[in-house]
Amino acid sequence: MVVRRPAQKPAPPSGDERLLVEAAQADASKFDVLYELHFERVYFFIVSRVHDRTVAEDLTSEVFHKALANLSTYEWRGVPFSAWLYRIASNGIVDHYKRSNREQQLDDLEHPLAHRELSSDDLEFIERHVHFFRLVEQLPEVQRRVVCERFVEDRSIREIAQRLSKTEGAVKQLQFRALQTLRAQIGDRHA
Amino acid sequence: MPKRSPAERLDQAITALLAAAQPVPAANSNATVARLVPLVRALRALPRAEFKAALKADLQRRISMNEATAPSAAAARPANFRRANFPNIAPYFLVHGAPAFVDFLVAAFEGTERIRVPRPDGSVMHAEVSIGNSVIEMGDANEQYPQRPMNTHLYVPDAHATYARALKAGATEIYAPSDKHPSGDLWGAAKDPFGNTWYIATRKDWSGGPEGFLAVQPYLHLRDAHKMIPFIEAALGAKATGVHKSPDGIVRHATIEIAGATLEIDEAQGDVQPTQSYLHVYVPDADALYAQAVAAGAEGLQAPYTAPYGERSATISDPFGNTWFLATYLGGDQT
Repeated sequence: MVVRRPAQKPAPPSGDERLLVEAAQADASKFDVLYELHFERVYFFIVSRVHDRTVAEDLTSEVFHKALANLSTYEWRGVPFSAWLYRIASNGIVDHYKRSNREQQLDDLEHPLAHRELSSDDLEFIERHVHFFRLVEQLPEVQRRVVCERFVEDRSIREIAQRLSKTEGAVKQLQFRALQTLRAQIGDRHA
Repeated sequence: MPKRSPAERLDQAITALLAAAQPVPAANSNATVARLVPLVRALRALPRAEFKAALKADLQRRISMNEATAPSAAAARPANFRRANFPNIAPYFLVHGAPAFVDFLVAAFEGTERIRVPRPDGSVMHAEVSIGNSVIEMGDANEQYPQRPMNTHLYVPDAHATYARALKAGATEIYAPSDKHPSGDLWGAAKDPFGNTWYIATRKDWSGGPEGFLAVQPYLHLRDAHKMIPFIEAALGAKATGVHKSPDGIVRHATIEIAGATLEIDEAQGDVQPTQSYLHVYVPDADALYAQAVAAGAEGLQAPYTAPYGERSATISDPFGNTWFLATYLGGDQT
């Protein structure tokens, strides 16, 4: 049976976002909604500057914990909530590179990615990857699983075949069809 | 040779790409495959679903903890839940020969003995020595609480001088202070006659935690230190700050904040083997934290009770074998 996951909601209009932030400020349990809306953006923002999955995960975790802890101090000034999250992430990335330099006993030269201002190219990178992530989420379940296990979890075709009780040839076909579908949906972007 | 299918060709190109981390030569691919291979990079950048779910659960746990402990219970507790002059999480040493241990702390680290409670047999039930702005506690080991070698990080004005005093007082050299330590601090290490390791450091250019700059911080070397962070956050409402991991996820160093005081952890490796410590920490509500810790998987060793010295007191053991004495000061004489 083919299972399609629901597409994620796009970022809400600013008025709605303000209400969501205020709701979370009044009741922290509503922070979940903000998390679901912004997780991928924050993650891809960090990935654009930190090319290590473990570090990217640590920094993403740090961003949301800090955002939750400081939510009461956030003031709505008409800019997207994501801008505040990107600022927290930027500070975390700078700290990360400072720590790395110190660990490696390097001079205080900072990594060129650490302080780079958020540009329109960055925003385009983030939104393109968020869109791509959502397309992956909408693949038929078995294709999505093959793609995630192969590329995100670094499993071999043989391992995936065993886990899915399929032949290696069948897994390669699923992989091929998944990538064909994604390519057809995004056109020649990501090329 | 049979002709390979596009799916086979694509997988061959992907395998080469993943192995070499570089673009495969165009000659290896046909046009269809060549259009698909560039997607690999974007796919490799996708977040792990398990990570997203785990972080969400972690945030939810933190929210529920705050809701459970924040309002009425906290309001009913005294604002000053610590005894005076007790800013840190105190390492609690249980040693054979506590009087000699007090003498060592005084001689080596210019400590000041501030309390000694003897037992009728002359052994020490409880003693405290202040070092700088912090406190170290101790007593004679017994069957229930045997001696354990522990690790403590000392920040002192002059690491060279303190290190020399420690050796003179009977410590043995592990390594002399130098500025080669990854922390950037002037840093040395010595072992005292009771088997405890002391990291003797003079900070370079950083500021202290929420309580300012503390002279004494317990230092836990753990096996699978990364597992301590979610546990201690859930069990003791702690917050891990400055977590520094290697690319393969090993915790090189992390600072853990509990109720405004801090300790340090890292992964035990090589000559640095795991140790199990005794730790004494003042918290706003020992009763609530005991229940929270046990719910999170800690072993309850002593349920909360009101100790005769004016504290709510409880004891737990964490999954790493460390013993935590949780306390809430109830007011009264602050000596």
